[in-house]
Amino acid sequence: MSSRLGRARTKTTRFYSFIFLFGVIYGQDNSNKSLDDILLDDNIDFAFDDSIFNSPFETEQESSKNDWLDNFTIKVSQQLYSQINHHRIPITPTLSIDRKRDLEINRLGTNVRYQNVFAPGWLLQASAQLRLHWAGDYQSEVENKNFEWEFRGNELFLQRSFANQTIKLGRQTVVWGETLGNSVLDVININEFRDFSIIDIEDARLNQWLLVWDFFGDDSDFSSFINFFPEFNPNPVRGSPFFFEMPFDLTEYDREGDLIFEVGTKWKRSFKGSDVSLMAAYLYENQLSFDVPSEAFKNPKPKVNDFVLFGFSVNRALGKLLLNLDIAYSHDVLLGSFNFLSNTSMNSGSSSKANRLGTSFGFEYAVNNNQNISIGIQAQKLTNIDSTPFDNFSGNERKVFGSWLARYSNAFNNGNLTVSSTLQGDLKGESLLALMDVTYNLNDKWAISTQIISISAADNSPLFLFSEDVRLGATVSFSF
Amino acid sequence: MNSNQFYRVFSLIFMASFTVSVLGQEITGLSIMQLVDDAQRQTNNSSFNKMQLSSCKFGVASGRITCAEKPRVKSLESVAKNYGPNLKDTKSVTITIEPPSERGIGMLNFTYDEIGRDNETWLYLSAIGRVKRIASGDSDEETEPASLFGSEFTTEDTETGKLEEYSFEILDETEIAGRKVWKIEMTPNEERSKKTRYSRQIHYIDKERHVALRSEMYDRYNKEVKRLMAARVELVNEVWMARSLTMMNLVTNRLSNMAFVEIYTDVTIDDEFLTQRTLTDVAFRETELEKLRLILD
Repeated sequence: MSSRLGRARTKTTRFYSFIFLFGVIYGQDNSNKSLDDILLDDNIDFAFDDSIFNSPFETEQESSKNDWLDNFTIKVSQQLYSQINHHRIPITPTLSIDRKRDLEINRLGTNVRYQNVFAPGWLLQASAQLRLHWAGDYQSEVENKNFEWEFRGNELFLQRSFANQTIKLGRQTVVWGETLGNSVLDVININEFRDFSIIDIEDARLNQWLLVWDFFGDDSDFSSFINFFPEFNPNPVRGSPFFFEMPFDLTEYDREGDLIFEVGTKWKRSFKGSDVSLMAAYLYENQLSFDVPSEAFKNPKPKVNDFVLFGFSVNRALGKLLLNLDIAYSHDVLLGSFNFLSNTSMNSGSSSKANRLGTSFGFEYAVNNNQNISIGIQAQKLTNIDSTPFDNFSGNERKVFGSWLARYSNAFNNGNLTVSSTLQGDLKGESLLALMDVTYNLNDKWAISTQIISISAADNSPLFLFSEDVRLGATVSFSF
Repeated sequence: MNSNQFYRVFSLIFMASFTVSVLGQEITGLSIMQLVDDAQRQTNNSSFNKMQLSSCKFGVASGRITCAEKPRVKSLESVAKNYGPNLKDTKSVTITIEPPSERGIGMLNFTYDEIGRDNETWLYLSAIGRVKRIASGDSDEETEPASLFGSEFTTEDTETGKLEEYSFEILDETEIAGRKVWKIEMTPNEERSKKTRYSRQIHYIDKERHVALRSEMYDRYNKEVKRLMAARVELVNEVWMARSLTMMNLVTNRLSNMAFVEIYTDVTIDDEFLTQRTLTDVAFRETELEKLRLILD
């Protein structure tokens, strides 16, 4: 186990050495080009012809036209992802899983966003995506088809803004917390990490049916929401990397006429160099909890659990450094609700509850104009565990658990080329996920990007089955 | 990094002129530069601008500087208003209109004149889904200046002079682009030297219109690292302004052009518009901006 983790760390070290060397080589390339001879030449006319910048002054009239197409933003992208490291994962001393090189994603996606202020103070916003899964993609493979298509509506809300208030009704997201990508307070939205092409939580959020009311005061703001139809993190899609065949299927939550809702409010105030927020909410845990079925050929029914959340978040800007702190206290959460998002995460059959105290602490540091580093650590601890004599706890539930997240980005050529990387791991040091992304914007519309994702995990980590996986991805996108 | 700094660009270094003449006074570098700060406040106050920010790698063709590649273009709208004692603090908000992939990205900036008080910046990225305070550092500190929307313009290039921290010398009276200019050297004092990337700057100030037509920035090794060129000097609302500014980075061979496509000053701006609400509340923002557009039309 430790050697596997060690090998993966070596890979990670090589991986970052590459990034470092890339930056050094790139920088040298630019610094070697001197224009001294040009600049000292008085014969050169430095009075620019603005036409080389698309004649901004001549297009003034045209740009002021109000075209209905301006309300749409469309992005078309083709994505390929493969697991490229052939290896075996030992399950027992005599049994192992063969992880072959395999194409996982071959997908053409179209994301459409519509935003229209159709009358003073009124906004209609909607977004949706259409995906075509080509041959080789896990979603077409599982259906034995040459291609499979999928449509999903994301946002759809109507907004009315007046005086110092705003009301939004419809499918939307609510984001709490200051720590980027790793906040204990970012629990209002549900998420879907369907595969490893989605690493950042910003890309995984799903919308829900909400009524949001914002009040903007002179010194502070209030934002409150009601969720009329709480939804839950979707179960893994059959065929996806997070799906594992079991003798039963995970089912969706059957409301059976139950009227459940969520409600919450946040108060925020900005001080000198700092923003402070207080929150309170009545929520349902996003991750459904399943018990292993007691009878054969019977599917387990999900359990839902309501709890109360109290939160506090603050940031502080100190020059180039931004410090973030989130604190969350959750009352009456299920013990088994912190599992990794796959259908291997089954409860031990317990309905025991506990209170959970969590904190996220992080900082963002602007190294210079182009480079940024952010690090976040999330730690949680259960208190007042309400266990029954039949519960079979390992004791780990009583320890501090959590994760950490580090991001680095470096932009070259006015942002035309961006190199970024993410490292994610758990506090126990049992798993490590390393991502490197290189994105090049060919122009204002076309962009290409490549990603490498490497995972290492110990035997008792939820990522165990992905240990030593290396994924290589490429995406071409066109925005207009 | 914010709209306020855009105004500073064309007013600080390249300055608009006042109808006040320096004739009859002893003409010094300082007296000329002092006109800049006053002009800046005038251009900042209650303004609404539409801008285009273009960046590219540059080269020389037919004896002229030109883009060696198709420029990347951003369209921006900004609103600013002065506050505080003597209207020396500025609140501004800038919204990205184009390209589509960056549409809606907004930045709110509070700039304080008070010594020791950091400026504050908030950014709204739709991908993050919330307003985020930015730790970009303050140019009054020993920090690397921040880039303006990824361009070659930085906060240091665009900040106000703090003239008492510099010494000035008129090096020459010459001609540039057919205009008579003062060639003024601007050198930071010891304290300022700790905070600036430049060991000295040289500005070529149009004698008649008091606009800098060209500026050169030198690093601590006395090597010219940046050059800024002004064009389209026009009288806008009784103030001379350079509506096209091009900053060349002589180290990376890249340049950015800032074109003030439309400039309006002395417009009525609601205080509530210059708050974080404008970043997130699209209906509110667009309604208020539309009011400004209608007034100006």
